Amino acid sequence: MDILVQLIINGILLGSMYAIISVGLTLIFGIVRVVNFAHGELLMVGMYATYLLGAHLGLHPYVAAVPVVVLLFVIGALIQRFVIQPLLGAEEHIQIFATVGLSIALINLALLVFGADLYSLQVPSVHHSLRFSGYSLLVGQAVMLVCAVALVGGLHLFMQTTPLGRAVRATAQNRNAALLMGVPVERIYVFAFGLGAACVGLASALIMPLIPVTPSIGSYFVLTAFVVVVLGGMRSLYGAFLGAMIIGLVDSLSGYYIAPDLKEVVYFAIFIAILIFKPTGLFGLGRGTE
Amino acid sequence: MDASVIATASPSPRKPGLATRLLHPRFYCAALGMALLLVVPLAINSPFLTHVAVTICVFAALSSAWNIMGGYAGQLSLGHAVFYGIGGYGTALLIQHFGLSPWIGMWPAAALAALVGAAIGYPCFRLRGPFFSLATIAFLEVTRLLFIHFDWITGGSAGLIVPLNPGWAWMIFYDKTNYLYIAFGLLVFAVLVAWWIRGSRLGYALTAVREREDAALAAGIDNTGVKLRAVMVSAGLTAVVGAFHAMYLTFLEPATMFSLPTSIEIAMYALIGGLGTVAGPVFGALLVVPLAEAARVWLGASANGLHGFVYGTALVVITLTMPAGLVGTFGRRVTGWLDRLPGGGNLAPALAPPPVARPQGTPGETMLEGRDLVRRFGGLIATNNVSITLKRGEILGVIGPNGAGKTTLFNQLSGFLAPSSGTVTVRGPDGKLVEPRAPDAFARLGVGRTFQIVQPFGKLTVLENIMIGAFMRHADVAEARAVALRTAKLVGLDDVAEVEARNLPIGGLKRLEVARTLATEPSILLLDEVMAGQSQADTQRMVQLIRTIRDSGVSIIAIEHNMHAIMSISDRIVVVDSGRVIAEGEPRAVVQDRAVIEAYLGEDFVDAQGH
Repeated sequence: MDILVQLIINGILLGSMYAIISVGLTLIFGIVRVVNFAHGELLMVGMYATYLLGAHLGLHPYVAAVPVVVLLFVIGALIQRFVIQPLLGAEEHIQIFATVGLSIALINLALLVFGADLYSLQVPSVHHSLRFSGYSLLVGQAVMLVCAVALVGGLHLFMQTTPLGRAVRATAQNRNAALLMGVPVERIYVFAFGLGAACVGLASALIMPLIPVTPSIGSYFVLTAFVVVVLGGMRSLYGAFLGAMIIGLVDSLSGYYIAPDLKEVVYFAIFIAILIFKPTGLFGLGRGTE
Repeated sequence: MDASVIATASPSPRKPGLATRLLHPRFYCAALGMALLLVVPLAINSPFLTHVAVTICVFAALSSAWNIMGGYAGQLSLGHAVFYGIGGYGTALLIQHFGLSPWIGMWPAAALAALVGAAIGYPCFRLRGPFFSLATIAFLEVTRLLFIHFDWITGGSAGLIVPLNPGWAWMIFYDKTNYLYIAFGLLVFAVLVAWWIRGSRLGYALTAVREREDAALAAGIDNTGVKLRAVMVSAGLTAVVGAFHAMYLTFLEPATMFSLPTSIEIAMYALIGGLGTVAGPVFGALLVVPLAEAARVWLGASANGLHGFVYGTALVVITLTMPAGLVGTFGRRVTGWLDRLPGGGNLAPALAPPPVARPQGTPGETMLEGRDLVRRFGGLIATNNVSITLKRGEILGVIGPNGAGKTTLFNQLSGFLAPSSGTVTVRGPDGKLVEPRAPDAFARLGVGRTFQIVQPFGKLTVLENIMIGAFMRHADVAEARAVALRTAKLVGLDDVAEVEARNLPIGGLKRLEVARTLATEPSILLLDEVMAGQSQADTQRMVQLIRTIRDSGVSIIAIEHNMHAIMSISDRIVVVDSGRVIAEGEPRAVVQDRAVIEAYLGEDFVDAQGH
């Protein structure tokens, strides 16, 4: 029983990490309608940036989060403006190839610059263990959970109450109608892609002290993020949050009860099953994949 | 109809012989070009160059195989390494456990890959673009993890070494030139398969399904069936090449045999060369593989990642600047030059189209019947208990205000929508009444339909568009072309036969809808507003055409807003309003019906008229 509770705690903490990454992916897909295969590489870039700021300027990753989020916002906006925007009218497979190409280019650029070695940032305060009635979690994980909840709540408030948020929602619902109402759709897209990338920036600063960075770290996370997003119904922030929690729990429980090397098989199997049998997502919150 | 149109007999109704084809410059230039891939390394005889040539052949062959599914059928797989790995592992395990030569073992491995391909494809084909790609990636990851997990069969992540018995029987050589012979042979085989499919009925069907699923169904194409055939051929071919490559590498591990980067690479060559073209994948591999291999050798480990960076950047640049790829962008110009070489010219044989069989049966018997049709969309009842009967040889006009439910009714009569309740019966060519289920089954029974919102295959020429319809009754390409040409003349599109369909004006597109449907040689024709958007002269022409079609024995239902035209051609009129039939009868009786005038012009008008 104790083990089960600890596994559930671990699962929720893992889920909050996936949530922050997946929320960014959901924003980009839900608004710009582009599946960003380079999303994981944005995470990788953010992690290297956090590492450099920490190792050379001595910035605590939670402080470095601010410049990293800004950096990723700018990178995301540039990608949208110069790669995605010219391809918005192109066929879907061309968009897929463009973001896949971006992902390959970024992975290998990191390989050229940093090599294949692991880089990790030692931040003792983040690794401090919190204990209560026999269960334990790291400070870094608790911060992740708080940030995930705050991020989804903040985005909710932003989308529902601000004029810009309304414009973003209008664009996501119907591009042409928004255009006719005077919404500068292309600028909204640039903003939305930047916002999605900025979420990943936050994730990378939070993850860096817990997991070492390699050039290919993104591919590991991005596949999981896609599973989460599909599970959550593609366009829904809350769906993505819930999906992330579920995948976190599946990861934690199946790693213990089935086999550590098969936990990914379990959630990929869930992924395929959802895609095929319930394309609107587990909670029917999205518009689906068909 | 002009009688001479039907009897356009060509003076030499003969297919070009094999010699004519072989002596065509498109063929001999391609053959000579490919032969260089074999001759140059043999002449220079450097192990490195041989290795590069083998790698080019392998990836060009893999990419050609991928292109059948990813290019022709438009199903963008990013998990094709599944089949490559199955081919390699299958063959290696058959050597290890059963002492089976790879020459034999590669075939059961390929059959397994084809089955796995069908099993993955069948549920995933309904997924749209990027989600199909994601699903294929997921299958790749699962396969790789399972191959690592079940290490008692596969050797796990430690890998598997192919038993090293040198000689042709075991496909293991000390001299790399022998590998080149086999790799080159595989490339030729893959390109021939891809080329044959491209020009076959299957190739056209795949293009049709990729461009417009609904129009393909209306042309009687079994969408899932043709995609399954494409994935099985593609997967099997990929596995055969994978089997050879495993023998060449002599070492297999899950990380390299089931790798996502390899899958992307395979697809990338096809994109760079030109998706859906026969020559594209070969050019793509020819261009990029030597660069990457050279970078690997000359720059060594210091440039680790450089070739990948170049790959990725090239991919982004290509999508931004040349999305049609090399062949898609320059192909027409080059084939134009080639055709001017000795032996060049048009290969398409001029065949006399076979005569159209006149639908046989008792005049006046029921051809198509919808009984008590109800169709709900959520709370809306679009079709409310409608019964409609089409008799043999008549033209039945369906009119009604916008939103009356006419097109919804059509969609049920042609199988594109299943009624919520009620039945649709069709008299098949054998004279029996049947209840088909799928739209392509309706089409094959002789129910042809057009779409109100035109559905051309934009990238195909007008003639090829019509051929897609003709393929339903004529499997032979030359015969289908002849039938399409005859149909194009009939509807007056023969002068634009070689124009890409997306360049036609709306009037031409409407006639193309009719032509594609006519080419399926239907016995029942459903026309959905074919006169909308036509000029006065074109409308007259369309009226004439519809009469001609009826006179050839086809029974017709036409939805139309052009009152003058529909009243003049129809034998009977059915008036639909708010999902119900409000009047039915001869044109003259119907226009005076109080309910009809009310539906169109409102109660006040009726009262003002004093009816």
